[in-house]
Amino acid sequence: MFAVIPDPLDPAPLVQAVRRDEAGAVALFYGVVRNENLGRAVRYLEYDAYPEMAIKKLREVADEVQAQFDVTAVGALHRIGRLEIGETSLLVAVSAPHRREAFEACHYAVDRIKQVVPIWKKEVWDDGAEWIEGHIPEVPEHTAGDPAPAT
Amino acid sequence: MTVNVRLFAGLHDLVGKRDIVLDLPDGATIAQLRHRLAEEYPIVEAFLSTLVCAVDEEYVPSEHVLAQGDNVALIPPVSGGA
Repeated sequence: MFAVIPDPLDPAPLVQAVRRDEAGAVALFYGVVRNENLGRAVRYLEYDAYPEMAIKKLREVADEVQAQFDVTAVGALHRIGRLEIGETSLLVAVSAPHRREAFEACHYAVDRIKQVVPIWKKEVWDDGAEWIEGHIPEVPEHTAGDPAPAT
Repeated sequence: MTVNVRLFAGLHDLVGKRDIVLDLPDGATIAQLRHRLAEEYPIVEAFLSTLVCAVDEEYVPSEHVLAQGDNVALIPPVSGGA
């Protein structure tokens, strides 16, 4: 299950979607809107996204996790639009035969999501607002259809 | 040829539009698109050094060759999660 939606995120269907009979563990990560950043009071966050590409990249992160860890299933939901303090912006669930893999893979998935998925957050303070610049996504050196790089 | 360009986050705010159309020479690359963008929207120039581009929902390098009608997304540094 992968989605980028403006509605409140519900963890129950996500956990159900990754649950497997052979999985003895499900790790579930909540990303939650915090009331401050770098010592500055945050009133709320506003998320923008390129939804079609964001879902594609969430799936790619999940494929990467499946390739690198002994896990059974991965799912992720990201909320967009205006989020109040305490609301959930991101849910990532990973099932695995054992807890260690579930925890480690979930941690890795959250880190990768923050690096490659085209979603942006704006912090809104009492006296202003700013789009937060996080990670510059890595770009392939060469893509299909391009002339071969000079050697 | 023309290509469709989608703007997000700070760029969307600055330009005030989600989508713009750029006129480029046939066979233009992403590097040429970036140059044209800075000419037509000077306000965007300060963002170019950290901006990456995506075509068909995939990140592409500056040498990527564009085609008529391509959908290009301008991707500032991402900050999803919490």
